Order: sequence, then C-alpha cells, then structure tokens
Amino acid sequence: MRRIESQIDTNARDFKANYAAMSERLKEFHARQHAARFERPQRDIDRLARQNKLGVRERLKLLLDPGTPFLEFSTLAACREYDGVVPGAGVVTGIGIVQGREVAIHANDASVKGGAWYPHTVKKIVRLLDVALENRLPVVHICDSAGGFLPLQHGVFPDRYLGGRVFRNQVKLSQANIPQIAVVGGHCTAGGAYVPTLSDYNIIIEGTGAIFLGGPPLVKAATGEEVGVQELGGAVMHTSVSGTGDYRAATEEHAFSLAREIVSQWKRKPKTIIETAAFEEPYYDPKELYGIIPKNRKTQFDMREVLARMVDGSRFHEYQPYYGITMICGYAHIWGYKVGILANNGVLFNDSSLKAAHFIQLCNQNRTPLVFLQNITGYMVGREYEERGIAKDGAKMLMAQGGSVVPKFTVIANASYGAGNYGMCGRAWDARTLFMWPQAEIGVMGADQAANTMADVKIRQLQREGKELTEEEIAAIRDPVLEKFRRDVEAYTSTSELWDDGLLDPADTRNALGMSISASLNAPIDDPNYGIFRL
Amino acid sequence: MTISKLLVANRGEIAARVLRTAKARGLATAVLRHTSEQEGPAHRIADEVVTIEGATPVVAYLDIPQIVEAAQRIGADAVHPGYGFLSENAAFVAALEKVGVTFVGPTSEVIDLMGDKIRARAFVEGRGFPVAPSAIEDDDPATFVERSRAVGYPLLIKPSAGGGGKGMRVVRDDSNLESEIETARREGERYFGDGRLFVECYIERPRHIEVQVMGDGQGNVVHFWERECSIQRRFQKIIEETPSPALTPEQRDEICETAAGIACAVNYRGAGTVEFIYAQDGSFYFLEMNTRLQVEHPVTEMVTGFDLVAEQLRIAAGEGLSAAQADIPQNGHSIELRICAEDATADFRPAIGDILLLDEPRGEAVRVDSGILGGGKVTTDFDPMLSKLIVHADDRAQAIARAREAVQNYVILGVTTNTGYLDAILAHPDFASGDVSTGFLAEQAETLTTPGKDVSDLLMAAAALSDERLVNDVMQIPEMHRKMGGWRN
Amino acid sequence: MQRIFQINGEEAECWLSHDGSEMVLNTPDGAIPCQLDPIGTPGGYVLRVRGRAQDVRLAVGPDATFVHLNGKTYAVRRVDPAERLAGNEGSAASDRLVAPMPGVVVSVNVKPGDQIEEGQPLLVIESMKLETSLIAPRGGVVAEIPFAEGDSFGLKATLALLAPEEE
Repeated sequence: MRRIESQIDTNARDFKANYAAMSERLKEFHARQHAARFERPQRDIDRLARQNKLGVRERLKLLLDPGTPFLEFSTLAACREYDGVVPGAGVVTGIGIVQGREVAIHANDASVKGGAWYPHTVKKIVRLLDVALENRLPVVHICDSAGGFLPLQHGVFPDRYLGGRVFRNQVKLSQANIPQIAVVGGHCTAGGAYVPTLSDYNIIIEGTGAIFLGGPPLVKAATGEEVGVQELGGAVMHTSVSGTGDYRAATEEHAFSLAREIVSQWKRKPKTIIETAAFEEPYYDPKELYGIIPKNRKTQFDMREVLARMVDGSRFHEYQPYYGITMICGYAHIWGYKVGILANNGVLFNDSSLKAAHFIQLCNQNRTPLVFLQNITGYMVGREYEERGIAKDGAKMLMAQGGSVVPKFTVIANASYGAGNYGMCGRAWDARTLFMWPQAEIGVMGADQAANTMADVKIRQLQREGKELTEEEIAAIRDPVLEKFRRDVEAYTSTSELWDDGLLDPADTRNALGMSISASLNAPIDDPNYGIFRL
Repeated sequence: MTISKLLVANRGEIAARVLRTAKARGLATAVLRHTSEQEGPAHRIADEVVTIEGATPVVAYLDIPQIVEAAQRIGADAVHPGYGFLSENAAFVAALEKVGVTFVGPTSEVIDLMGDKIRARAFVEGRGFPVAPSAIEDDDPATFVERSRAVGYPLLIKPSAGGGGKGMRVVRDDSNLESEIETARREGERYFGDGRLFVECYIERPRHIEVQVMGDGQGNVVHFWERECSIQRRFQKIIEETPSPALTPEQRDEICETAAGIACAVNYRGAGTVEFIYAQDGSFYFLEMNTRLQVEHPVTEMVTGFDLVAEQLRIAAGEGLSAAQADIPQNGHSIELRICAEDATADFRPAIGDILLLDEPRGEAVRVDSGILGGGKVTTDFDPMLSKLIVHADDRAQAIARAREAVQNYVILGVTTNTGYLDAILAHPDFASGDVSTGFLAEQAETLTTPGKDVSDLLMAAAALSDERLVNDVMQIPEMHRKMGGWRN
Repeated sequence: MQRIFQINGEEAECWLSHDGSEMVLNTPDGAIPCQLDPIGTPGGYVLRVRGRAQDVRLAVGPDATFVHLNGKTYAVRRVDPAERLAGNEGSAASDRLVAPMPGVVVSVNVKPGDQIEEGQPLLVIESMKLETSLIAPRGGVVAEIPFAEGDSFGLKATLALLAPEEE
C-alpha cells in the first residue's frame, strides 16, 4: 500500500486557525469529560467514604490490568438531561482488559444519586450489554445502585428497551455462552438483584454489598417484619445460607482480586481471523487533524488527509480512485487490522453510491471489517438525479451496507445529515461502535436549512393571510427555531442521548477503532448474504 | 597396626573432608547414611556407603552397637568419628577396642577425663595450669564468703541451680559482697527453690582462644598454634581465625605451650583442642579440652600447611607425628566462616528449604568444605551448618577482604542462610580492628542485621520477571493493547 | 498482573505490564521499565532496571524467589493477593461448633478446660454412615462439650463450645 502524500501545509494560516479553533473546542470537551468522570459534590464523596466504599474509578483501577487501555463509552451521556446532575448517566461502561482478556464493563457510579437508574442509565447499560452480545465479550458488572429512580419510573421500567432489557440481555449472553461476573459493592435491590443472580459468578463485599428483592423498609411495609440489611441480604447470609452469592470478600481489594482470579479461569476462545499486518504508527501526526478540520463546517476538506492521520503508516489502497469521487473507498490497516474504509468527500451521487455498494460487497466477500468516516450532507437532490434513480442507487448502498456481515465501525467526523447518515452506517445500522467528534453535527438536515425551512413555512402561511413581514419580524420567527436546531444537532446532544458511544478527540480515533475492531473479532463473521438490490 | 579400610562414622562436610584425605592416603573408605538421609558429597567420595537405621537420623548416628557392627561387617579396621555424634563418647571407643577396630582419636580414659568438666578442671589446676578462680559454696559453706573474697573482683555470683541469667549478680568491690550474696540467695530460692550459690571470677569482654594440639600417645605432643573463636552466636562459633589478633608473640607462645603442656600431662593421643578464656588484661584460663578434630580445624591447616586428618590417621596407624614443633610454621592469616541455614534477623532460627541453586566460590586460597549438593533439601534433622568457607592470605586485612569477596560470591538459593550476616560481621570496623569479645554479636545485633541499601525494586523486578506464569499472563494481553498502554479516551 | 511480594518482612504490591516493547513493573513508587535475560550459567541473568544492568543469580522456589544480587542473597516471598487481601477472615471463627447434620458422637477427644490449637480434632461424629472429624476452627480453650460418646444429636446442635477469645 502506498503512503498518502499529504498536501497539508502545517504552516498555512488556515491550518493554524483551524488548529487553534479545534484546540479550543477540545479543551472544553476534555474539561467536560473530566468533570463527568471525577467532579462530584462534596457530600456525595463524603457519603461514599462514610459507607466505606471506593469510588467507581478506583474500583476500575483495581479491576483492570495496569498499563492497558480502557475504551470508555458515553462519558457525557445525560449531559443535557436532568439539569446536568447525573454525570455519565450514573454509570461507567466500556471495554477493558482483565487478566489479559477483553471484557465489557458495567459499573454503577454510586457517587451519582447513589447509583440510581435514570432513563439514560438504563439506555447506557442496555447499549453496553448489546455491545457485549454483538461482540461476544464477557461482562464484569460492578453493582452499587439505589435502584430505579422512582419519579421517572416510566422512563426506566416498562418499555422494550428499558430496565427489563438489561436482564433479558444477561440471559441472552448466558445462552450464547458468554461469561459474566458481578461484584456486589453496594445494594442490588428489586430488579437490580438480578444482575448478580443472572451472572455466572458473583462476589459480595462484606459490610457494603447486599442483594434483596425488597430492602428492609419495603419488607417492613409489606409484612411488618423488621430485619437488618446484613441479615436480609448480606454477604454472609447469601454465601452461606441462600447460595445466592458465590464468594464473599473482606474488602474491595479482596473482591477485585477474587474477580480477577475468576476471570483468569475463563477459557480464552480463539478470535476470528482477519487479514493483519505488523503495526505501524501513522506517518503523519494525528494531532494535525486539528488543523485539517475546518473552523467552518461548510468548508470542504479532503478526507484522505484525515485517513493519513489515522491509518497504519498513512498507507491507503484506494479503490476506483477516478470514479464516484465524492465517495472515497479503499483498504488500510488500523493497529494492524485490515479494514475497508468508506469516507465522504462530498455529497453522494449515483456513481458514488454505486461505488460504495460495490466496495461494501467486496469487503463482505473477503471478510474485511468496514470503517465509515462520515462527513455527509446527504444524497444529491434534483430532477436530473431523481431521473438517474438516486433513490434507487441509494437503496443499493443501504442494502449492501445494512446487509453486511462483517463488523462495521462508524466515526462521525463532521456532518451527518439526512439519508447520508443511513447510507454511512448511522446509529440505526448496527455499527459495533459509533463515535463522534466534538465539533460534528447530526440531524435530518443542517440547522440553517432546517430553521429556514420551518421559518419559510410559517412566513408563507402568514403571507397567505395577507400579512407582510418586516425583516425584524422574519428574524423573530426564524432565530429561535435556528437556535433550537443548532443546539439539537450538536454532538453534545447526540452523546447526551446516547445516539453514539461517546465523543472522541480526533487524535484518539485510531485507538478507539483499534479497540473496537479487536473486540469485534471475539464474534464470528457469518457468510455474506444480501437482500434484493433494486437494479 | 596398619589401617587399610576406614569407616567415617559421621556425615556432612566433615565426613567428606575426612574421606578425601583417607582416599588420598590410599585407604579403602566407607561412610554412613541414614535411610531417610539425602545424598551428600560424602556419599559420592566414599568407596562404600553403609545404610544405618533409626527412628531419626540423629538416633542412628548415635547408635553404638549398630555402627560397631557395621564397621565389622564391612571389614573396616579403623573408624574416624569426625566431630559431634560419637566423637567424644568413651563407650564407643571402648566398644571398638573390644572388637579390635582402631578408633581415630584419644583413649577412652582421656575422653572420660576431659568429658567431665569438674574433673578436667581439677586435673588441670592440679598440674599447675591456670584456671579461672572460683568458689563453690557446697565445698564448705562456712568459708564461702572468705573464699569468694579470695576469687577477687569483679566476680560473678550464680545460683548453683540456676540458668538463664536469673539471680546472677556482678560484684565489683568488697563493700557489698555479703549483701549481694544474700540477695542472690533469696533470688535463687525464689526462682529455683534452691539458695545454694557459687562464685567465679567475672571476666569482662572475654575472648575465646583455643590451641590445636596433636600427640602420638607416646609422650610426644606438638601444638599447631592458636585459633581465635570469639565470634559466637548463641554460644556457637561462626567465624574463626588464626592467628588471634589479640595475642602478642610472647602471649602466643605462652598460651600454646600451656596447651601443649596440658596435652602432654594426659599423654594425649591424636588431635585435640585446648580452649581458653582470655581476658582483656592478657590473662587466660583453661576452659575445657575437646578430644577430637574441631569444626574450625581448616584455618590451622591453612597457616601451617599440615593436613590434620592425615596426622590423625598417621597417629592412629602408629606412624607417629610427622613433624617436630619447630617444623610447624604459622604463615599468613586464615579465616573460616560457618555457612548456616538460619535467619540471622529472626534470632538465628534454623531455616529449611530446597537448595535450588548452589554455586560455591572458587579461587586462589579459597577452600569450601561443603556438606550439601545442589538439588538437596535442608531439613531440621541435623545441625544447620551447611558448609565452611575458609580463606588464606598474607595478612589479616587481606584475609578479611578475600573472605568478603568469597562469601559474597557464595550462591546458595532456596534456603535462607547467614552469608549476608557473615559479610556484615566481616565489614564491621570493630572486627577489622580485632577489637571483639564473645559478646560482640549480641552487642552489635542491631547493626549487623540492619538491612542494607533498599533494593526492593530490583528484587521485585527480578521476582516478577522470573515468575513464568506472571510473564505469560502479561504476554497474553493482546499486543495492540499492550502497545496502547494505559490509554484512556 | 498483580503480585504481592514480601521483602525483609515488608509487603509490597506491584503489577507487571508490557508496553509493547518492554516489561514495566508498576509499583506504588511509579513505573519501572525492567528486563531479565538469561546469560547461560545456571540461574544466571542480567537484570535491567531503569536502564541499569546487573548480574543476578536467581531461583524460583515454591513460596519464594531467591535472588543473589550484588553479593547478597535475598528471599522474596510471594504472597497470594486473594489470601492477603482477605485480611483476617479466618480469625473471626465462631466459638461454636455446630452439627452439620444429625448424627451420633463416636468419640470425644477433649474436655472442658483443655487448651486446643487450631485444626486440632475435637470429636468424631457419625452420620449417614460416614465418620467425620470435627476440628477446632481456632486455638483457644474448650468451654463445653455438650454431648458424650454414643449420644445422638440433631441438625445445628452445638457440639463444642470454645471459651470466648479475649480482645
């Protein structure tokens, strides 16, 4: 594979201006992530200390192999909900290494509302367990939750992808012979009791861990029986009387040491073999991405320059370099793994859609995972394109992409508008992981277009009623809509709502993809099969 | 009375050491081995290994009838007892005599005499040799105070029934002698239910100096100079050297001639050692006589050039001494270190374990008399001494330097040993200046066991990296994840 | 991967990792790059720590690793993390020995007032055609043996009572 020859002049004014703007954005992004991970009101920190419990980050440190990476999902989940007082949606999820094995981790954060499950908490846990199922990753649950957040019970409990889905997914994991272990470092009440009991192994920490369907207050209310936490569901009772608990740990350190020992008993299953090459760092510095992504979203940029700062050795084998040039297709290696990359270099036309559909089939045929790098404003509209069958060609791309059997990974690098989001493996299309860069936007259309469209409807309606509007009156209609749309399409909204698996510093994309690809190879790749292509 | 086949009734390093000389002299050789005992170096040297039985190995090595029977059975015409076990057992000597097997050592009468400390002391005193002044209350209670006063100050009052230092009182002048005697008596009654006392001369900061002697049993006795053995822990020597740094040439002649005189007085046959207590003022007193080869005999061999075991065998074979006194030199300086399986930081508790790796120091003037083999086991069945490291050099400073280098290069892995402790003693400035007494190790206990420079990071690294399972586990982490290190998004 | 070592009586926790090119020992004092290469002689290695190389001899025993370094021999005891972190779980053993199932006392080995050691057999019971020796959960003094030889007892009957431990 040939190295991409970068055309970027890192001394150019534009580059420097872009770099400064992106750095500013990333400073804010990292500050927000840090706050969501570590900053808590003093009373919550004090409460944990009083309860003799470690914080979730300390627990992760005890669990994970030192000197190994942890790919954390959706750190900023719920950042635009609940007045921002439920950082990370009260739960930490991600993929890490325990005893040399890739595991999915679901850890309640008891420093956030006692680890109570909010609607976004449930969404984040269900997503993690979906990741575990799709990639066949063993799961470590670290349980410490006050239970469902009752005032929002409708958002937590009844629907298909709410609370019950957590346990349903646990059952499906078990059926698929994927091991799970739960470390009970706090209370597991009611539904929460099923997390450790549906796990293959569980460990209860003496003094702090407890499992019960109904806690002492509920028991008192229901039957009048007065019973303490330890008697009702403590470590000693469960590990010696009920058999609900497998191991009891004297301390947090003991618990995680036991957990590690148990994980080390798990059989390592052979991973799916795909084409690999020796590692090679990108030839061009990934931090140069900051100067490549334009300050102004509407400014076009060459995605090859992005690839050059993401793939091994900056090497790229481009497929059909002269055809359908708004769609870049080709092979590269990421952390040694061979992938097929689809990256947008403009709007999708008929030819670019066909090229994408063909390339996706090639990758499925030779078992090459797919990476989608989105900067897409949509499929081309207009009479000429409709006549050429743009909807039909777009459908071919969707059929190829949606029918893929190889693992897919999506990075929303800049814009993700309209059906382009679908074609480029948006959230609904089962990317194993989907990450977004902090300056990126997602929506049916750009905020300006959406605001203008809505304002125009309103203005025309008023004109029909015979009203002539001044510039100020038009602005008064359009500006609030524009402001709302601008906020709605922001990456922070997406990540708050868990439409992605988290925001990424662009320079971290290569590692996040490496971790994701490696994890995906725990699951087999089926033989390719497709639906009907409209020809 | 020629000897053609020698049975060594011992084990460990001394058995190996005796066997080497015996083989060099062309004797057929045999050695004992208890049924549960591991193979040691001696078993590889001896022409024949005789299995002995007993509830414990020690019981077997003390089983006179069994060993005498073994000697007869294999046709040995002489038995070398080594040290310890039956080496100073008159009954053993008598049993061998009865069946016509030569005992390599003195007569049973001499063993008997020197084995009884009170009789030995009386004998020596009676021949005009110096013994520490003392007074025993029981001899004549009426004159006890008078006799105590005659011992001189400082003196030590001890309960006759005592032990462990209880009731012992040091008296430094006459004014409180009687009151201290009464206090000691009351304490003796309280602790031991026995108020009888005795008094002996209190020697402050004494040294232990001994003299190697050799007699032919025909009235000829020579000495092989002295050995300084003041470095003791729990009353056992761990470093010995010769010459003693404490003696002037005149004192040396005096103490060596005294020893030879005592040996002569009993018409001594074979190798023996006369032990003295040596006071800071240069006076010395007879302590006891060991009627056997000593553990520390190699330092004497290093400075005199004589093979003491060869001398023993000559004498036993009736060939007499190979040298006159004037032919026995004292060249240079020699130091012996006793390598023991013990934990110097835990009150010298014996250590056990498997000898996983053994690499003995080698080099010019470095001698290792070893009783262990790599791959062997160290158990509590026997004495914790594993081997002896002996060095020789032109002078004491060089000998210390050579001993330090050798002990630092003595690799015994798998069982805790005192090599580091021995090195710490050698490195101590008081040892270097020779200013030591038998209390030295106790006085310097803390200094000598202070851990040196903290190398725990190196040790942890070595332990971690040599842990195959650990390394395997680490390397099982996929290479990509290892390369990413502690990355967080 | 985690290990707890004991050196000179002091316990130290460390983790070993590999950064793709070299081993790293993670200690409370920081990360230490290290490497151990055999040199051909038995137990002989070159140990590289923080870039500094030195010769060591080492041997791995069942419970300890023995290291000869710079003229000194050290024993690095290996402590099982799970066991060590469990703390004094064992010392909280109960004063009461309870019948695991109904049965008959076959023999009684101790009497009230006896000083006993942890693990010492106190009495033998028979139940379901099997003889089981009941051992002392901790050292201490026997307070009471409620049943005599030949007595039968029910599930959870107290078979031996130890005098409470003094704090």
